Amino acid sequence: MAATFGRGAMTNGWTDVANADVVLVMGGNPAENHPVGFRFVMEAKRVRKAKLVTIDPRFNRTAAVSDLYVPIRAGTDIAFLGGLIHYAITHDLFQREYMKLHTNASFLIKEGFSFSEGLFSGWDEDKKAYDKSSWNYELDGSGYAKVDPGLEHPRSVFQLMKQHYSRYTPETVASICGCSAAEFEKAASIICSTGKPDRQGTILYALGWTQHSHSVQLIHTAAIMGAWNALPGYLRSPRANQPTLAAYLNETTPRPLRPNSMNYWSNTPKFVVSLLKAYYGDQATRQNDFGYDFLPKVGETDNYSWGYIFDRMYAGEIDGMISFGMNPVANGPNTPKMLAAISKLKWMIVAECFETETAAFWKARELAEKYYASAPDASRINTEVFLLPAACFAEKDGAFVNSSRWAQWKNAALDPPGQAKRDQEIIARLFLKIRQLYEQEGGSAAQPLLSMAWNWQNPISPELSEVAREINGRDAAGKQVAGFGALADDGSTACGNWIYAGSFTEAGNMMARRGQEDPTGLGLYPNWAWNWPANRRILYNRASADAAGKPWDPSRAPLRWSGSSWSGDVADYKADAGPEAFGAFIMLPEGVAKLYATDFAEGPFPEHYEPVESPAENALHSNVSSNPAAKVFHTDRDPLGSAKDFPYIGTTYRLTEHFHYWTKNIAGTSELQPHFFVEVPEALAREKGIKNRDMVRVRSARGSVEGRAMVTRRMRGLQVGGKTVYQIGLPIHWGFIGRVTGPLVNNLSPSVLDPNSGTPEYKGFLVNIEKI
Amino acid sequence: MMTTFIKAISATPGKPAGSSRATETAAKLIDTTTCIGCKACEVACQEWNNQQVTFGNFEGTYQTLPDLAHNFWNLIKFHETELDGQPLWLMSKYQCMHCVDPGCLKACPAPGAIVQYSNGIVDFNSDACIGCGYCMTGCPFDVPKLNPETKKVQKCTLCTDRVSVGLEPACIKACPTNCLSFGTREDLLRKAEDRVAVLKSDGFGTAGVYNPTGVGGTHVVYVLARADQPESYGLPKNPQIPWTVSIWKGPLKWLGNALLIGGILGTFLHYLRYGPQDPE
Amino acid sequence: MDLKTPNESRLTRFSVSERVVHWLVALSFLYTALTGLALWSPRLYWLASVFGGGTTVRGWHPWGGLLFVLVFASMFRNWRSQMSLDRDDRHWLRKAHHYAVHDYAALPEAGRFNAGQKSLFWMQSIFGILLVASGVVLWWPEIMPRLLRELAVLAHPVAAMISIGGIILHIYMGTAAVPGSFRGMIQGWVTPGWAASHHPKWYREHVESTGTTRAHSR
Repeated sequence: MAATFGRGAMTNGWTDVANADVVLVMGGNPAENHPVGFRFVMEAKRVRKAKLVTIDPRFNRTAAVSDLYVPIRAGTDIAFLGGLIHYAITHDLFQREYMKLHTNASFLIKEGFSFSEGLFSGWDEDKKAYDKSSWNYELDGSGYAKVDPGLEHPRSVFQLMKQHYSRYTPETVASICGCSAAEFEKAASIICSTGKPDRQGTILYALGWTQHSHSVQLIHTAAIMGAWNALPGYLRSPRANQPTLAAYLNETTPRPLRPNSMNYWSNTPKFVVSLLKAYYGDQATRQNDFGYDFLPKVGETDNYSWGYIFDRMYAGEIDGMISFGMNPVANGPNTPKMLAAISKLKWMIVAECFETETAAFWKARELAEKYYASAPDASRINTEVFLLPAACFAEKDGAFVNSSRWAQWKNAALDPPGQAKRDQEIIARLFLKIRQLYEQEGGSAAQPLLSMAWNWQNPISPELSEVAREINGRDAAGKQVAGFGALADDGSTACGNWIYAGSFTEAGNMMARRGQEDPTGLGLYPNWAWNWPANRRILYNRASADAAGKPWDPSRAPLRWSGSSWSGDVADYKADAGPEAFGAFIMLPEGVAKLYATDFAEGPFPEHYEPVESPAENALHSNVSSNPAAKVFHTDRDPLGSAKDFPYIGTTYRLTEHFHYWTKNIAGTSELQPHFFVEVPEALAREKGIKNRDMVRVRSARGSVEGRAMVTRRMRGLQVGGKTVYQIGLPIHWGFIGRVTGPLVNNLSPSVLDPNSGTPEYKGFLVNIEKI
Repeated sequence: MMTTFIKAISATPGKPAGSSRATETAAKLIDTTTCIGCKACEVACQEWNNQQVTFGNFEGTYQTLPDLAHNFWNLIKFHETELDGQPLWLMSKYQCMHCVDPGCLKACPAPGAIVQYSNGIVDFNSDACIGCGYCMTGCPFDVPKLNPETKKVQKCTLCTDRVSVGLEPACIKACPTNCLSFGTREDLLRKAEDRVAVLKSDGFGTAGVYNPTGVGGTHVVYVLARADQPESYGLPKNPQIPWTVSIWKGPLKWLGNALLIGGILGTFLHYLRYGPQDPE
Repeated sequence: MDLKTPNESRLTRFSVSERVVHWLVALSFLYTALTGLALWSPRLYWLASVFGGGTTVRGWHPWGGLLFVLVFASMFRNWRSQMSLDRDDRHWLRKAHHYAVHDYAALPEAGRFNAGQKSLFWMQSIFGILLVASGVVLWWPEIMPRLLRELAVLAHPVAAMISIGGIILHIYMGTAAVPGSFRGMIQGWVTPGWAASHHPKWYREHVESTGTTRAHSR
């Protein structure tokens, strides 16, 4: 998503969903996982008579209140969305004006770009990666991208896209996804009804959860879904080949690709220098590149995302781990490998309010031998584990940031019990102790640590409001900055995170505000808490208006141009610049949303690839069935299964009753769902002689889980490539520690990672099931 | 603050003082068409009433327990069915209906164990409850449940402790989708009818309000998409106080009393008229 | 002790074991009936206070009922054979109104038990079974099916009312109405005159079988 629009975040707030006319739910189950936010969907349904369409492997809680439900095979979302693009283009159900104005549809791509047999141009079989140079825009003499406003040029993004998705006919989509072509077309007709020019206003927030745009939104959706997991950090990590700050900034600061592109990231030097000043204070000077040298540099091809870290740990390359507020043994894929990896550590610190599976990993075999018979015996594990009792959320103040990007300040409700300490105190005590040891004994790379600014009033346990003030940033005079516009690249300002500049100003803690005014009537509530960035409630809100700044839908306009200023929401635009001045997507060098994005490892257009473990061959290109750029690990604990041994698709998901692996420690929520269960389609259960409540075992190439069967007609057999494919539902939430216990379903999932974000493939893998 | 009086009281002759005093009513509307089965109401109920937690058996459904329990007064019933070949997953909250003519109160033999307040809330008073369980039979909704340890029967109080100080019931406070609302019975019935009109115009011809007349109406009112088959939501179609309870608490009471008094009086009169049989 | 009647003229009416069983039946019936009446009508709820409060009454009433059933069963076993209604009894019942007005001439002679007593025996047996069956349902409402509970709430009081009505009559007959019979159940003996007057058939059988009007020594 960051690649499409420039930021990897939800563009509008939940409150804004109430303004929708069509809500498409795909790749999510908001009624189950976001019941509070879902109230606004129900409000849209109740008040606006909005149509809710759910596309999911299971007929889930969201489907239960939907106007249309279409079943889909796990891992085939892109095929469905590609089909929607094809449908919209062939039925002319998109808004050409918007597409021309606010997207890169008119941009021309260099000669040489191609796609055939599942591969884009530039594939390097040895490196298992693309050389993306052939994907770039065709530039003119000034370095700007060439465009064809008529969208007719054969190498324009629009024409390429039209050609790319021409293969996604309803029949093809149906045979990949497992629904019927009629079901697909019914869904498409509802979803694309928002694209008619006479309903242009009714399509706001119609598709997906994270996007705000007008009638090309379904095309954006495809891009969004393709980019679903692309959430880069807000500043890129310095790499080893960027020895100086100048080199780093030179390579990471983008240049504009259109004359009217505001290219907000051109401000990168201000953000980086201000951050370094926050880190190192007086020790950050122009002479030492503001401490750029202190930052660790990563290798050119190094990847420090999840799967890679634990793969290295399994290889014995990592000595210690500090696990704060997460439970990798439970959360991560392939639990048997995870347990083996952690048992190779010399030490591990876990700070948690409960004992977690991670902290108790050494007891796994004792507590759940049937799953971990091959796990090392506790007597043979040399990892020293420090379990630090930490405060839980209600025992500390600070800010919650929700999906609407609201940073909402809250107070501690009570003190942590016993010896439990708040996070900042644990971190501060660790830091001070380590710094003391460095001072006394020295050590490698002591300088960065000793240079860190630590000027808190209470160094042992800094007040979070003080931390929040530092995150907001201060100017040369020591005053809190009012916004990121005040940041400078000369070392005069310090700011912990430019995105939050403006959250704690001289006027006070903006996140603690509780104003309930709603001047636009759109549910923007500008005085409630603080919305990053710049208290902007809807991202890319400039795109809600046409070239002259006139809202596409005057009845639901977050932003309009009065002739001299923008009114409504905080403009995602230059506040005093006229509507013609810049492109609407100020974070992108293009200045417009990218329907074609070179940022992705597997291609500029999302393409359907089968999951690495799949019961079917890719119907579009059987030679390149799964994502060629996906990261597959190859240790002895990373086996992959074949459809012969594991003929069914396992798909994992969360239940509304629980929160991750946390609430199994809480009596009240455990009461609502005390037992792990396996959802089995009725037809498959009949075939296997499984009755409701029978004990079953589900196995994958990695491990197994056992639990009671919930035989249901809410999951049906799907017709994929001419044969019936069944999916098996596996809720997460249980483990070998807690008030209620059960198997960890990640015993089953593979360590296969999305190449862009490193997110594991939890949603679709192969399993078998038997009655026990 | 809501001023309430006692309107009806179990097993107590005569009418209580509050029976003729009108106050604002308290009621709950459950719009099942917007229920997502999130169980927030269940947790809120458990927490507010400080219920003892029990982990039930796995019953092969998302439903927390097969039925209400003495320590579980608010249950979302999940019902899986099919409509035109499409799965249909109905979810609806179940709890005490707070009947206008409560069968539990009628059946209760313990004075003051069950009261109905002038706002319509039907509440159990554990101090006076003797644990006979007649209310369980008197209730056509199978709501009251006996706590085997305390031998007291328990059920939803419509959060009378909250309502009496001007707060909405805990379940309503917790509901994220506005499926639940709280207000006077008159307002909510109107709101329910409005919602049904909208649903009907949306093509749900079978939509309707569930406010069964067999128990004089209820203070918990439902909007159902399929009002023609409330059983699908776990609601009885035509709930009525069982006729045996009505006979028992009506004509039989008079007949029985007449028999007792008549028997005693009759023998006495017989003695006076005829005296003893031949003395020895 | 009635000292006026010499031992020789005492006829054994009920043996010790018969009397013990009868009075156990009577006491358990009395307790169960009174506690039941407390729950029957709010106006009789004061009886609950007499017997230890509502909760105690609710708790013990079923046990009282259970005791009643057990001892009644024993009584039933003892007396069943003597309780069958013969042709005279049926005739007696048709003329029962004569009995009520002391017009014995119109009635067939009674044996050890007259037809009224036999009828009471069978009535109490039938309604006792009904009381027990419905009582068990009411004892554990939480595990009983709704249909049974609905029937039980009606059957139990109906059976109880009839049963109590019968017992009121029985007490009257056994005390005030028929002097001498109460002693028969307390001390176990009656005078030959009483026996000849109220149970002539039994009296004759007794004289014939023993050849004397003297009672057996106990």
